[in-house]
Amino acid sequence: MSTNTTTMDFFAKNDKISNIWLILTLLISLFGVYGVFNVLINGHDVYGVTRTVPWGILISTYVFFVVSSTGLCLISSMGHVFGIEKYEVIGKRAVILAILTLLCGFGVIAMELGHPFRMMIYNIISPNFESAIWWMGTLYGVYLVFIIIEFYFLMKHNHKGAFYAGLGGFIAGISAHSNLGAVFGLLEARPFWHGPYLPIYFILSALISGTALILIIFNISYGRPSNLPEKAKNALTGLSKLFGLFLGIIIFFDIWKIITSVYGAPPEKYESVMALLTGQLSFNFWFFEVMLGMLIPFFIILFTKGRNLTASLIAAISAVIGIFYMRYDLVIAGQLFPMREPAPGAHVQSALQNGMVTYSPSFSEISIVIGALGFCVFLYLLAEKYLNLSE
Amino acid sequence: MSENSRALKLAEDNQKLANKRKKAKEKWGIVLDTSKCIDCKACTVACKMENYVPVGFYNYRIWVAEDTHYAKYPVISRSFQPSQCQQCENPPCVHVCPTHASYKTADGVVMVDSKKCILCKYCMTACPYDARYESHATEAIDKCTFCYQRREEGKDPACVETCPPKVRVFGDLNDPNSEVSRLLAYNEYTVLKPEKGTKPKLKYIK
Repeated sequence: MSTNTTTMDFFAKNDKISNIWLILTLLISLFGVYGVFNVLINGHDVYGVTRTVPWGILISTYVFFVVSSTGLCLISSMGHVFGIEKYEVIGKRAVILAILTLLCGFGVIAMELGHPFRMMIYNIISPNFESAIWWMGTLYGVYLVFIIIEFYFLMKHNHKGAFYAGLGGFIAGISAHSNLGAVFGLLEARPFWHGPYLPIYFILSALISGTALILIIFNISYGRPSNLPEKAKNALTGLSKLFGLFLGIIIFFDIWKIITSVYGAPPEKYESVMALLTGQLSFNFWFFEVMLGMLIPFFIILFTKGRNLTASLIAAISAVIGIFYMRYDLVIAGQLFPMREPAPGAHVQSALQNGMVTYSPSFSEISIVIGALGFCVFLYLLAEKYLNLSE
Repeated sequence: MSENSRALKLAEDNQKLANKRKKAKEKWGIVLDTSKCIDCKACTVACKMENYVPVGFYNYRIWVAEDTHYAKYPVISRSFQPSQCQQCENPPCVHVCPTHASYKTADGVVMVDSKKCILCKYCMTACPYDARYESHATEAIDKCTFCYQRREEGKDPACVETCPPKVRVFGDLNDPNSEVSRLLAYNEYTVLKPEKGTKPKLKYIK
């Protein structure tokens, strides 16, 4: 009998998730198989990355995934770690999506690394404690273990266990994620990234991704905002307000990042920021990052006061699309100023007339990105359909 | 033996040699007098030959860049800046490498242990000189090793040996009587991007 109740606790069928969506997202993820096979057969030449821009869209997509994961974990911890009862309802859904986004992020970075299996071995037997990538990778590993345990306890309604695992996940998540910021922030060679700004900014933008994704997934689970149960409505209304606040803070952060990079034209910072404002990344920056990512969702929340959950959902979708480009812009812009002047004979790869270099993702890279995003949605829908994620 | 397996064997032999020379007291460096450079690019060819650098326009360890401070006709001048890995004393690539694949030998040469390299390319983003590339031959990051295979015989690196006007002089910066130390004592010199704090061991005579 007892086994039966446990199974009942874990599994429950949600009829709101239609099989058509499952099949569709699975088909989209199959698109990624093209890129995976192409790189396994033909090697990293099929990627658009170069000697001058060694980190491309796969790195930025990895960042997008793990930012989402960390954000989901941080936001969900408000409920079962910090005891704000209102937010306890978001726990299970947020944590399962945190696990899935992290796994998809790991999948994407495994495709970007030349030797992912070698990484697992030498990360352990030859660790460099000075390396931000070592800390980032290792802490994300620890974080994954914590959030899996946390999810298990949440499903078991073990509040004490969920508290401790959640606290562990919270600490590991913050450490791992700020270390990811440090991966960029510790590079003296790249003035656009260098400094304490990125580790802080990454935590802030994780909070935005987290709130936006929670607003979206609750609407997926219940079909539409009007179907949401009262408890969820309360939590989401609160989250909408927080969402607006975080967006306001990130707009403030961005304004000062840009002013300090333009004022007095500090070398290399200036050129990188101008690539965003007027150069090769300007459409990405103004349309996706500024409009979709920040201004539209901010004003939607500002004018609806977060009380209209349909409007909040639109704001959240807009922000998530914008944030994807935000990550891309951040990773690429930092590398667009070449480390050597592209003079004749210097062989600076993919140099442009204006002294900058350029990068465009290859078809294989794009297919892996789309495949990973599709697969992540597929996994979430699957979890939503068959796991008991409601309280 | 294919070119690729030669390159791989060379990389492995250099690791063994670096292990063997753990007690080496030298600090290798190159002093360059760029005013002598005639842009013949013999150094870039010699480097590729000596180190089995894979074919490809952007697979290179060293380069000769033209200085772009052109004067206007009829007052014109032309000069060149040959360069390679700066073999920094404070190498950012070594700090950032998660698996110690990039490391500094006892005699101060920055090398890549190709077996440990996971190709995360962090070192490529950390290097302020764009001195590294992804090698198909070793399936790892590759870079200038000061022709480490020649250290036991005491021969100069290939780029130094082949240079017709003797732009580069190679030697032990720790030995006050070496030619490099003398050149540095008698001439004013500079390094590339000193503001990055990397302390390069490639010194350019002004």
